[in-house]
Amino acid sequence: MMIPNPLALIAEITHRCPLHCVYCSNPIEMAAASSEMSTTEWIDIFQQAGKLGMLHAHFTGGEPLARPDLTKLIAGARAAGLYTNLITSGIGLAGARLQALVEAGLDHIQISFQDSREEAANWIAGAKAHAHKVELSHLIRRHKIAFTVNLVVHRQNIDHLEEMIAFIEELAPDRMEIAHTQYYGWALRNRAALLPTRAQLERAVQAVAAAEKRLAGRIRIDSVVPDYYARFPKVCMGGWGRRLMLINPAGKALPCHAAEVIPGLEFENVRRQTLEFIWKESSSFQRFRGEEWMPEPCRSCDQRAEDFGGCRCQALLLTGNAAATDPACSLAPAHHIIEAALREEANSGAAISQPISAPSFVQLQQRAGNLWSYRTNPE
Amino acid sequence: MPPPEDSSQPRLAAGCRWGMEKEKESKPGSKTERVILYPEGALRLRDTGLLILESCDGQRTFGEIIAELQAKFGDADPGKIRSDIGQFLEQLRQKRIVDY
Repeated sequence: MMIPNPLALIAEITHRCPLHCVYCSNPIEMAAASSEMSTTEWIDIFQQAGKLGMLHAHFTGGEPLARPDLTKLIAGARAAGLYTNLITSGIGLAGARLQALVEAGLDHIQISFQDSREEAANWIAGAKAHAHKVELSHLIRRHKIAFTVNLVVHRQNIDHLEEMIAFIEELAPDRMEIAHTQYYGWALRNRAALLPTRAQLERAVQAVAAAEKRLAGRIRIDSVVPDYYARFPKVCMGGWGRRLMLINPAGKALPCHAAEVIPGLEFENVRRQTLEFIWKESSSFQRFRGEEWMPEPCRSCDQRAEDFGGCRCQALLLTGNAAATDPACSLAPAHHIIEAALREEANSGAAISQPISAPSFVQLQQRAGNLWSYRTNPE
Repeated sequence: MPPPEDSSQPRLAAGCRWGMEKEKESKPGSKTERVILYPEGALRLRDTGLLILESCDGQRTFGEIIAELQAKFGDADPGKIRSDIGQFLEQLRQKRIVDY
């Protein structure tokens, strides 16, 4: 099998986080602070990533700012030739530290907002974070770095999407991501309270289209229809072992951040193996790479090189079998599971249960659909 | 959104930059290829696309860039060169890779 070149490293540098978002999709079992890799260990990994041809390093968590050595880590990734992206809640980021990060070579900062309405946003995040994020956004615009605002959409806030888009416009980012909640971890548990109705979704699609037109050339909008309502599943992580490698705080290398839920897979650790070995040789990265593992209808489907059968973790969570066609696909034998959720849950008035100390990390999973838009030439 | 005007000075947008040159890409005989890195993506450039973006340094005006390329590619229709480059930069501005 041809082994694809990895394009980006997701550096999950800590699982510590001050937020408690209701749709948090972080692993329930977190790496303890005491097992976190050192500055030197991370910098060595960035060097390996650069030599392996990776282009981007995405710093995430937990909350990456919880690492006091973040500036050194950014500088280390830059020195290895990587484009550096910080995915943060912004909690704990003041002017001087932002300045230091930019000087160290930070290329892009990404902040997620829970709502345009402060009270609702703070409730979803389980912390008084909203006002601080607004202030931080103004601070970011004083620097010449790329700025993305990520907005997490679900049934509780989708009816005022236009208001939220207008709110983000005021923050003047380069990019706006409208991310529909995806159903893993806490979000799956809260699905009956988060899943929008079809009518809500259709209004949202119109609102996004109007905003795209109005903001063209100023703010780029990236938005993906939630996979529960799509005909075909999302291209999760750009395909298993095809684009991305995630390293967790303790050095474990994963094809995606939820991969640990899949039973029977063993993951290598960068403390014992090289990135190159893990990418090319490890059984975990090969398990769902390519088409060999595919069941029907994927195996003979025209879409198989587009969506790679969808998300393995979602297949497992919903069908009990990680090697099944993602039930989000309209052709999947288990698609009735999605249809039942839409029928029974999207219109229910179910209440939300909130994680008590779960760390916040939802962005990458949510963006998986359009994240890896690596192009070989302008189209 | 309009294409650049003659007086505008196209440049890479904030947070977009050229990637490091990799040794394997500059082997003798291989075509020059460079990469622009931007949030969550990369643009691999060669030939005319590369020439155009290397000219977008925030100093040269769109008018100057067009004139240089029209001189360099004397055989091609100058009007076509202008409209193609304008369209190319307009697309990249929509992706927030170029500003002008």
